[in-house]
Amino acid sequence: MWKVLSGVLLGWSLGANDSANIFGTGVATGTIKYRTAISLTAIFVLLGALLEGPKCMETVGELSILLTIEAFYCSLAAGITMTVLTYFAVPASASQAIIGAVIGSGILSGAADFSKLYKIIICWIVTPVSGIVFGYFLHRSLRYVLDKTITNITYLNYIYSTGIIVAGCYGAYSLGSNNVANVTGVYVGSGLLSAGMASLIGGFSIAFGSLTYGKKVMMTIGKGIAPLDPFSAFVTILALSFTLHIFTQIGVPVSSSQAIVGAIVGVGIVGGLRTVSTKMVAKIAAGWVITPLSAGILTVLFIKLFVS
Amino acid sequence: MIFEKILSLSKKEHKVTDNMRKHIKLLCNACSLFGTAIEKNDRSLMRDLIDIERESDSIRREIISKIHDGAFLPYLRPDLCRFVEIVDHVFDVLEDTAHYCLDGKIPEQIKSECIRIAYLNSKICEMLLITFEAMLKGDDLREKTLAIRIYEKKIDDIKFSLIKDIHKIPISNFWEGKILSDFISGITTISDIIEDASDYLQIINVSMK
Repeated sequence: MWKVLSGVLLGWSLGANDSANIFGTGVATGTIKYRTAISLTAIFVLLGALLEGPKCMETVGELSILLTIEAFYCSLAAGITMTVLTYFAVPASASQAIIGAVIGSGILSGAADFSKLYKIIICWIVTPVSGIVFGYFLHRSLRYVLDKTITNITYLNYIYSTGIIVAGCYGAYSLGSNNVANVTGVYVGSGLLSAGMASLIGGFSIAFGSLTYGKKVMMTIGKGIAPLDPFSAFVTILALSFTLHIFTQIGVPVSSSQAIVGAIVGVGIVGGLRTVSTKMVAKIAAGWVITPLSAGILTVLFIKLFVS
Repeated sequence: MIFEKILSLSKKEHKVTDNMRKHIKLLCNACSLFGTAIEKNDRSLMRDLIDIERESDSIRREIISKIHDGAFLPYLRPDLCRFVEIVDHVFDVLEDTAHYCLDGKIPEQIKSECIRIAYLNSKICEMLLITFEAMLKGDDLREKTLAIRIYEKKIDDIKFSLIKDIHKIPISNFWEGKILSDFISGITTISDIIEDASDYLQIINVSMK
């Protein structure tokens, strides 16, 4: 069972990083207290992982037939890649890192199934686009509905503040259901864990990451997003949650960071802002290539050095 | 705590808006009282304004503490607090102006113009209350703030003619002139401050959309 440790480490770092996308705005603007935010994140991440986590497990497991030791090195390589790329400010995604690692291992053993890969790559590209589309249309439609029904400032204030909390809980649920496969999906593929047990361990490790190390990232992300008005913040979190939840139903783990960047761009477009910068698009595109490639190469190196 | 917040259904926010309404209504009364005090040359009414200023301070403190206690989104709090402080500043100016009235006597040559300004100040306060109510409902404030600006412009016009008129008034010593100048400045500044307050209502209104 010690081989699960690398997955737990990956889950912990994912929880510390990605939970910031959900309640960052709420915490930084004071709508919700940090302790409440991380407690809610932990509860709903675990709930999402347990109830819907197995839906994405198969996708990761089907990419290649892995031995348990290979699964261990895949998670380790993904974790190291995430840490190093984050250090160099390249937007790294756990989903892309783990898929790259599994493919790397599969190429080495000759068991890689590339027929499943196209679906995953399309989903990666579509993730920020979905964020944009959801951000834009949710902003337009909810604004229209609120303008027609509730204009009282006190009630709007109530709707925004509770909306940010409710949408955050939904976001945490979606994060747990979608991203738990990144953490322990490889162990299901290698036969070490059942889907249910993998969801439980993965869910706990993500929840533990958000509980123990989420504050710094949450404040950094939150303050970056803080200039958004309350309604836009609410819409952004809702767009992120919908994006993640839809990809959970498709069965592909995707990046929550790229989804929220897309959602912010979508909300910005409504206001006529020039939020789409070529630099940002280039960074995301670089992440699509560099992250899986680095994780894949690192996995190959680990397996060559320590397994072969 | 969080469930308590959800179940309380904006109790704190309602308390804040009720107090803000009370604050503006008190300002309307104070402005109207000020006009009557000038008209009737009633010194006891002028002294009442000093008590009203103290009452306004207590309402302001209550509003600010409720806001910092968690009423409204943190995003809105600075603008709400600023609005309340601007309204409170009007009470301070009214109190100072009442003191000048108590210290000296308004010359008969400018009294009618001063009563007119006090009347317009009272009207502009009523308009501020209407704008505040519209802001709470989320209505468009453009027409209301325009009305406030028109009142302010009228007062400005009277102010310039008043300044010309006071040149003709004989002054016996420096302090008599200073008190008269401060009184004119005070009575004509009220509309400027209320205009600033209405601008903040517009900011709050826009930031919630």
